[in-house]
Amino acid sequence: MNVFKNYFKSLFLLELFRGLSVTGRYLFRKKFTIMYPEEKAPVSPRFRGLHALRRYPNGEERCIACKLCEATCPALAITIEAEPREDGSRRTTRYDIDLFKCIYCGYCQEACPVDAIVETRIYEYHFENRGENIMTKEKLLAVGDKCEAQLAADIEAQAKVR
Amino acid sequence: MVNEVCLRTLDLERPWLMEQYQSRGGYEVLKQVLTEKRAPEAIIEEVKKSGLRGRGGAGFPTGLKWSFISRNAPGQKYVVCNSDEGEPGTFKDRDILRYNPHQLIEGMILAGYAIGATRGYNYIRGEFWEPYERFEQALQEAREAGFLGDNLLGSGFDFDLHTHLGGGAYICGEETALLESIEGKKGQPRYKPPFPAHFGLYGRPTIINNTESLASIPMILEKGGEWFADIGVKNSGGSKLFSISGNINNPGVFEIPMGTPFSELLEMAGGMKDGRKIKAVIPGGSSAPVIPGEQMMDLNMDYDSIAGAGSMLGSGAVIVLDDTNCMVKTLERMSYFYHEESCGQCTPCREGTGWLYRVVHRIESGQGRQEDLDLLDDVADKISGKTICALGDAAALPVQGMLRHYRDEFQYHIDHQRCMVGAG
Amino acid sequence: MTDKLVTIEVNGQELQAEAGIMLIEATDAAGINIPRFCYHKKLSVSANCRMCLVEVEKVPKPLPACATPVSDGMKVYTRSPKALAAQKGTMEFLLINHPLDCPICDQGGECELQDVAIGYGRDVSRYSEGKRVVADKNIGPLIATDMTRCIHCTRCVRFGEEIAGIREMGATGRGEHMVIGTYIEKSVDSELSGNIIDLCPVGALTSKPFRFNARAWELTQVEAIAPHDSLGSNLNLHLRDNKVMRVHPKDNESINETWISDRDRFSYEGLYSSDRLTSPMVKKGGEWKEVSWEMALEMAAASLKEIGDGDQIGTLLAPTSTLEELFLAQKLMRGLGCNNIDSRLRQGDFRMDATQNSVHWLGSSLSDMDQMQTVFVVGGNIRKEQPILAHRLRKAAVNGAKLHYLNPIQIDLNHRGDQDVCTPGEMAGRLAAVAKAAGVKASGGGASLLGAAKVDESAKQTAANLKAADGALVMLGAMAQAHPDYALLHTLAAALAEATGAQLSILPTSANSVGAQLAGAVPHLQAGGTAAERAGLDTLRMLKMPRKGYLLLGVEPGRDFWNGSLSMSALQSADMVVAISAFRSPELEACADIMLPMAIFTETSGTYVNAEGRWQQSRGVVRPQGESRPGWKILRVLGNLTDQPGFDYIDSQQIHDELHKLCESSTLDNKQAEPQNLEPLLSADVLLRGGDTPLYACDPLVRRATALQQTQDAGSDTIRLHPQEAARLGLDGSDTALVKQNGNQIDLPLQLDERIPQGCVWISTGLARTSTLGQPFGEVTVEKA
Repeated sequence: MNVFKNYFKSLFLLELFRGLSVTGRYLFRKKFTIMYPEEKAPVSPRFRGLHALRRYPNGEERCIACKLCEATCPALAITIEAEPREDGSRRTTRYDIDLFKCIYCGYCQEACPVDAIVETRIYEYHFENRGENIMTKEKLLAVGDKCEAQLAADIEAQAKVR
Repeated sequence: MVNEVCLRTLDLERPWLMEQYQSRGGYEVLKQVLTEKRAPEAIIEEVKKSGLRGRGGAGFPTGLKWSFISRNAPGQKYVVCNSDEGEPGTFKDRDILRYNPHQLIEGMILAGYAIGATRGYNYIRGEFWEPYERFEQALQEAREAGFLGDNLLGSGFDFDLHTHLGGGAYICGEETALLESIEGKKGQPRYKPPFPAHFGLYGRPTIINNTESLASIPMILEKGGEWFADIGVKNSGGSKLFSISGNINNPGVFEIPMGTPFSELLEMAGGMKDGRKIKAVIPGGSSAPVIPGEQMMDLNMDYDSIAGAGSMLGSGAVIVLDDTNCMVKTLERMSYFYHEESCGQCTPCREGTGWLYRVVHRIESGQGRQEDLDLLDDVADKISGKTICALGDAAALPVQGMLRHYRDEFQYHIDHQRCMVGAG
Repeated sequence: MTDKLVTIEVNGQELQAEAGIMLIEATDAAGINIPRFCYHKKLSVSANCRMCLVEVEKVPKPLPACATPVSDGMKVYTRSPKALAAQKGTMEFLLINHPLDCPICDQGGECELQDVAIGYGRDVSRYSEGKRVVADKNIGPLIATDMTRCIHCTRCVRFGEEIAGIREMGATGRGEHMVIGTYIEKSVDSELSGNIIDLCPVGALTSKPFRFNARAWELTQVEAIAPHDSLGSNLNLHLRDNKVMRVHPKDNESINETWISDRDRFSYEGLYSSDRLTSPMVKKGGEWKEVSWEMALEMAAASLKEIGDGDQIGTLLAPTSTLEELFLAQKLMRGLGCNNIDSRLRQGDFRMDATQNSVHWLGSSLSDMDQMQTVFVVGGNIRKEQPILAHRLRKAAVNGAKLHYLNPIQIDLNHRGDQDVCTPGEMAGRLAAVAKAAGVKASGGGASLLGAAKVDESAKQTAANLKAADGALVMLGAMAQAHPDYALLHTLAAALAEATGAQLSILPTSANSVGAQLAGAVPHLQAGGTAAERAGLDTLRMLKMPRKGYLLLGVEPGRDFWNGSLSMSALQSADMVVAISAFRSPELEACADIMLPMAIFTETSGTYVNAEGRWQQSRGVVRPQGESRPGWKILRVLGNLTDQPGFDYIDSQQIHDELHKLCESSTLDNKQAEPQNLEPLLSADVLLRGGDTPLYACDPLVRRATALQQTQDAGSDTIRLHPQEAARLGLDGSDTALVKQNGNQIDLPLQLDERIPQGCVWISTGLARTSTLGQPFGEVTVEKA
């Protein structure tokens, strides 16, 4: 009985038409292909992209060199050195993230008590030279300065659930 | 039966003078004891028989306290009198220093004789300038008359007495903090044991008693322990000085027998001011839990009866509140006192007294929260019994007492952000 | 304490405990944890933190375990609902006023409050009012304060009173306003002050040099031996990234207990000084050039051989070097025919070398020090020489021991003791008086002094106390050893000790002073601590009769020497100076011809023999900086290059074992074989210089520890003298004066100080400017600048 049924199916290409019907359905639907890079996909406020160090509105850097991000980083991608700044406050003298090691888990952001290290929505970046994979403190702060408005809004949006 | 013991010379002109005191038979007992060379054990026995309990607030039997000191232990021993009367509402010891200093001196010499101490210190509260001068004057007189110094009245017994003026800290009324203060250190209670009877002033055996207790000694030895015990009631021997204050017509110090009904004491003090209704009574200084007025009218002024009502007789400082008094405000004042006077040594008291005050203050100023009453109860509970000295308990007890009897008044403050009293 | 044992029950578990000890000691011994803050095993019980409250059966209130003695049959519950409620209550109270600044607190990660809060704290605070804030005080260059974090456990206060012996910290104010701090605005100057950093359970007192440098969890802990004083305190080094980040004490009850001195704690900073020597260098035409190791070593070996006559070489070794380095250095040099080997750089008199054939030492074990009943210290300011040893002496004094001091300056004692202060010229006479009082006959050593000595009341008292004691020491300190009549002092002290039945103690001044004698790094002893076959020249004669060549090991010309100017002139006049050194100082660069970079302290393995003769080994735990190499390796190659046999060591352990075998039969003994009759060299009736070596000027490493150099104990280039002496010299009113000694002269600031005896001016040695003068004790003139 089964043999007969299979013979019938293959003779009339029933499977093929079933498949083509799906194709046909999508052919006439609204397209969701994005013309990247001209078009960009929407990004969640929780997106974990390139890192940044934030500042307070008065321009003071937030990071207090507590090294909790360094301690929590599962990939050992963060290296921090610290000493008292001239005014006696605790500041980093070196804050490096090795983007080759980083797995973008976001633990650093979770651990940070002052919302200094954050992961931005930036996902488009590349390196051309050896050593550019190290995000230094200056680079991180520059990213932060560039994205501050977006970052503040994202953190605000997430405040209730964090 | 009033003014029988400590204030027996009060009716005389300038009763603080030596001659006036001696006109009532003062220093006779001392002479008798020294010439007869009465056995120290007999003296302690007599004090035990009298049922005299420490008048400073804790009510520990004085005779028993003395018997802890081994008389024959070698080396220096001390008698210390605690005249650092700081409990809010208490003002009895200053009257002894002012009007009958010689009886205290005589009592201290006898105490020294009983335990074999040759040095005494009277620690007088820093703010008591007049009592201090009176006492110094009395010391001068006693020294001139040969009651102080070496070889008193030819008996071979040496005793000298010095005053030490405190710096005005409440905590120095705690006996071990007082000893630290005399030694020139920061007034902070010591951990007990060891008790002062073994490790006291400068590490030597020391007895430390309240002014009123020591001033009662001459009369006990003159008329006998039983006479003293019979003035009062069972378990509360003798008469006691009550400093009564608050919304009454005639506040002051009254020496009355133990066991006198409170209603009689109130009558002596002239009754309620403007005939208002009695609301509550704090029977033993600010650290004693409050007792509602109606309940208090049926109580007698003795240790057991007040303890039965869930409070304590303490130093005999009776504070009477009428129906115009806000209990929240009252507690705020008391909590502030303990917050300011905590010595800062133990964690629960140092941190907790401030917390209590802040919460009560919050309620009083109309910022109370619904959970505050439970919080107060809990914090008070965490302080009491967890500290080295009794100041922690003293700070917690009024809070617990107030919440027990007047919780609704506190709740009203929280609910309505204003006071129930006078609300109308 | 009795040895009686009682049985108690804790949480249902039966424990045996010594009667009379506190409950917390019994539970600690049994491994039952009770949270605590104010309790510390070495401090008195104050019972004020209330964290260790436990429930004891039949007692209504919870009791503090730290202040409750155990009694037989006691039943204790440390985690019952009642005990836990009390502990959690206390925790909540502690936290309400404690700031939430753990992320910026250096204690974060190793904080007792954090640890206990995990177990006993709530997750949310019920306290919503403002927290207490306390202004910070600057208490000096070593300790950083954040007093807002203080939980008032008073450990630091009790440490000052009970251990350091000076009340520097205290509590002022009452209740919530109680603040821990110095009583008046001043720095904490105790030489043991760093220990309050360890004691502080929170981040109120932290290390200033370490401030914000690393987190506790980043550090790796390794053990080491302190390389400064002669105790060999046990250390825990905390490393990160091949760098010593800080130093903590390691408990060793028989040496340093739980403490270390500030010198041991903060000297690590010197390792990272900017003038570390990091590559071999050779001086060519007055210019220093970096060269390869091969070249430098070959040049050094060749130049040593070139001198030919071994007797024309002087070998000066730092007494802080490791035992292996000292042993190899003397083996190398003796192999080259050079017997002029010495490591006693600050000793002033070597006349007794001729009759001494044993190793000098402390004369007692360290743990016996606190049991002594009488100690007579001659020429020693022990507190500012060997702080931890002074702590032991203080313990003895607190236990009732009688301490007597004979010094050329009045010293600050932190315990009871009698001080006899006289000019340096009178010291031998005063010591003779004590000896005479003890019944020493005027024959043999020091006969003339003994004959002339006037026995006064204090001499009689000292002698009587020494005689009466069951356990007594006559101790010769660093100032006695630097005295030009040290041999005489030694002879008199030995006679006094013998007459009174006391032990003679010669306080070894440096980490390996005893080791150097065992290793043969002295002219009169060879390896093994036995008399040398051919005695060479001592330090002083090596410099007074300049040699053609010198080998220096870890030594800095000028500041490391008894007579700074003499050392400079002798070394500068030499044809060839080979220096194995960790640092390059201008003085060294002026004298040396070849500098070989050496690894020190944490970078090299080695052995230290401490004052009581205990051998302690430490490992090299961080890589040597730059091109520097461990000293033993450098010396080994020099041995090979000078074609000597027996230099084929693979590791330092082999060197250690070889020497240890040689030392098997060696004994430590302070007696002289036969006392000589000596006459005093120092005149009593001229103006004399007196001088000590300040606590933080003693060796090259400490001198480079920046934080320590900012403290008072670093010493200052000044002339200190008695106001009346100043008046006599016509100097009253002047700020500076010109001081001349041995033909050298400098201007120094004047400081009036009543502790200096009249007839004496006090100028410390080992400092930048004073080391251009001469010896610490000697004739000097001071005049208006």
